[in-house]
Amino acid sequence: MSVDCGILCSKIILEHFGGVVKTVAHDLFKVSSKTLSNIVATTKLQRSQVIECLRILVRYGLVTYKVSLQNPKIPEYSLSYEKVLLFPRYVRYMLLVKTLYGDEAELLIEELLRSGSEKASSIIVRATTRLKEIKKEEKNVSLNIVRDKLILLMNKQFVMRCPEPLPGCKEIPQLIIKQEDLFMSPSLSLKELTQMEEGHPEVPANDVTLRVNFDRFHQEFRDNIMISAIKRRIDDNAGELMRVILQQMYIRTEAWEPISNPIPVVEIRNAVHKVKTNPRLAQHLDQYLKVLDEDSSNFITKVADSGGGQYVVNIREAFIQLSWAAVENIVEERFGSKAARVFRLIKSKHFIEQEQIQQYALIPAKEAKLITYRLLEECFIQIQELRKSMSSAGPNKTFFLFHIDIDQVVKKCLEICYKALTNSMVRRQHERDEHKRLIEKQQRIESLTANLREQGAPADQIDELEELLTPLENEALERVRIMIARLGEAELRVDDNMFLLQLYLMYSNCK
Amino acid sequence: MSAADKGASTSQDSSSSDFEHRIIALGQSHPNGISDKDMAKEIPELPAAQRAVIINKLLAQGYIDLFNQGGVLIYKIRSAKANVIKGGDNEERIVFSIIEEAGNKGIWMRDIRTKSNLSANQLNKVLKILENKKMIKAVKSVAASKKKVYMLFHLDPDSSITGGAWYCNEDFEAEFVDILHQQCLKYLKQKWESAKEKEPDPIAAKNFSYASAQDVWKYIDDLGISKVKLSEHDVETILNTLVYDARAERNVTIDETVLFRYVEPLLSVVGLTQFPCGICPVLFRCSISGMVRPATCTYLTSWLQEYIDSA
Repeated sequence: MSVDCGILCSKIILEHFGGVVKTVAHDLFKVSSKTLSNIVATTKLQRSQVIECLRILVRYGLVTYKVSLQNPKIPEYSLSYEKVLLFPRYVRYMLLVKTLYGDEAELLIEELLRSGSEKASSIIVRATTRLKEIKKEEKNVSLNIVRDKLILLMNKQFVMRCPEPLPGCKEIPQLIIKQEDLFMSPSLSLKELTQMEEGHPEVPANDVTLRVNFDRFHQEFRDNIMISAIKRRIDDNAGELMRVILQQMYIRTEAWEPISNPIPVVEIRNAVHKVKTNPRLAQHLDQYLKVLDEDSSNFITKVADSGGGQYVVNIREAFIQLSWAAVENIVEERFGSKAARVFRLIKSKHFIEQEQIQQYALIPAKEAKLITYRLLEECFIQIQELRKSMSSAGPNKTFFLFHIDIDQVVKKCLEICYKALTNSMVRRQHERDEHKRLIEKQQRIESLTANLREQGAPADQIDELEELLTPLENEALERVRIMIARLGEAELRVDDNMFLLQLYLMYSNCK
Repeated sequence: MSAADKGASTSQDSSSSDFEHRIIALGQSHPNGISDKDMAKEIPELPAAQRAVIINKLLAQGYIDLFNQGGVLIYKIRSAKANVIKGGDNEERIVFSIIEEAGNKGIWMRDIRTKSNLSANQLNKVLKILENKKMIKAVKSVAASKKKVYMLFHLDPDSSITGGAWYCNEDFEAEFVDILHQQCLKYLKQKWESAKEKEPDPIAAKNFSYASAQDVWKYIDDLGISKVKLSEHDVETILNTLVYDARAERNVTIDETVLFRYVEPLLSVVGLTQFPCGICPVLFRCSISGMVRPATCTYLTSWLQEYIDSA
């Protein structure tokens, strides 16, 4: 929680929900929790407006409420800013689902993300309608397939049920759901769904409210990061082995444990033999396991020899290593490769004096000093004064040792990420505003031509209309399009970075 | 020495030179010095008066030194090297011995002054005389370019003074180090690549990609890029910097040979650094409104322009 983070949250909410909701969200960001009348007082909005905003935010899971300690009859609202920061990642969620389960699943997730939380039936119906629009030629789009996809997504835990209010509740409803019900798919009959599609207003009997299970997506992202790191470090076969090990890990271990429970080699071997695509891995399995175990990245460790050996996955350790790599990379790009060398040197020596730095890093004294002090200035390294306790006099008895507080540095890098994301969004909006007139003109012309085409107007009339946009204007529009696309792409990359650092903080807190 | 003593000593010339040798031999067998009493015990046939004459003579010639140790006078034989100083006066002798003590690490002028109790002017004169006689030399230290240290003329300065192979006249040779750095990296990387190609077995491939400091040293030596003769230790220092660059991994075998191998970093690129803000030098002065702001940022503009041009 920092000023930069607050600005980013505001920007995101502004982009997705508009100005009024942003005001409320920003007001909530500043405090841990607040009652409705307090929000009205500070934002100077109308009570009904604030209620509407809160309703939207609660629906998206961005705001939660609990009973106020002072007065048990009124709720206090608080903003979960971590959830707001997930918005830039939505594209990646959709992409992941698309690669895993196809177009239907992507549309389902998209609809669900767009509405925050929604009844299962209406999600299915809306996704089907859109799918029919996209795939006009293909006839095989049916409610049946889409419904099965949703059930599959629930079985795979990508989608889960929302908690529901306890029946017979007082003023403030308590939302509760049983753990075993969380991923139970609703039994929706095709007949009811078809009726809904045809426009009948009544809601199916067994309907439930659904939302996206972000953790499950994050788990998938996390595994992919680990696999691709191993691929880079050793080779593709080792990456494949890592994937198999992670799959085996889930049989015995909760997804977010810092260290997995032991996995017997026998199970890994069986799993590898089942995946027939990789004969070389199956042939050298033991060697690959040994190489993975011995590698300095420490992703897996052998813990016991019983039953042919047992391995554990050190997820926490892996993300400590990966975050170090990320931070080192940031230092390298920001300050140059010599600075990265100094940074890693300090890391490996833990505490080190200035003179030793230049000696070990083989950097000229002056340059080494410059680099060290710049790193210190930007808080990538810290300084520790060490006075010799016996002598009281003389500054020459003090040692200045440099060291790294990685938690601090990771937080610092996260701040940079927040700022970068904000800047990209602001720039994107700026480009859009700059060319507002042009973009609007293009949209008008497009809608006009579409109308004319439907009416069956002659081709030369349409061409004439299209020529209202001069080649220069077209070029400018194309430039804006490219720029916005590039910024969007960069935002995804920065978010990727942010994800890694956030995971580090999560794991370093759970000791 | 009085004239009467001199007359007496000439009459017993042959025996006195014989005693002289015995006293010197005695001094050499007692490097920590020998007191007058001990000397009398060792050479009882030498009368005290004659002993005093011989010792005075030796002192004047600079063969022995006289020390006062806890109220007892002690004679010490002076080392052979110190004989160089023969012609000099007392100050020179003292300064010389202080410098001699410092060995090849050298000694700073201020330290000589405090040890010798000489004034700055006097010391300067003495040092100049000694330098002209080629008995001592001044060496510039790499640690502080203005700091001169003195040491005996024939000594090779310690690597902490010269900085080792990486320094040429107290200047750090950054380019030389960089070239060696690149060559070492190239060697390790080639080894890693060929290991990956040739060996189907991952463990064998890993073991094959290791290179000891000696292997790399030989490779560098064969290349002949270095004017200076590098030691294996120097190459190891370079290889260590590769480890700090995260381009190599260090491993020590059971028989304590240090091995290095090339490694790929865990992450290829970090998204943040591909965006201008990730590497922006004025990021912390940037805000939504103000002089530095994303809407008009030149870094962002040129980054976007670059992309438009390439598209």
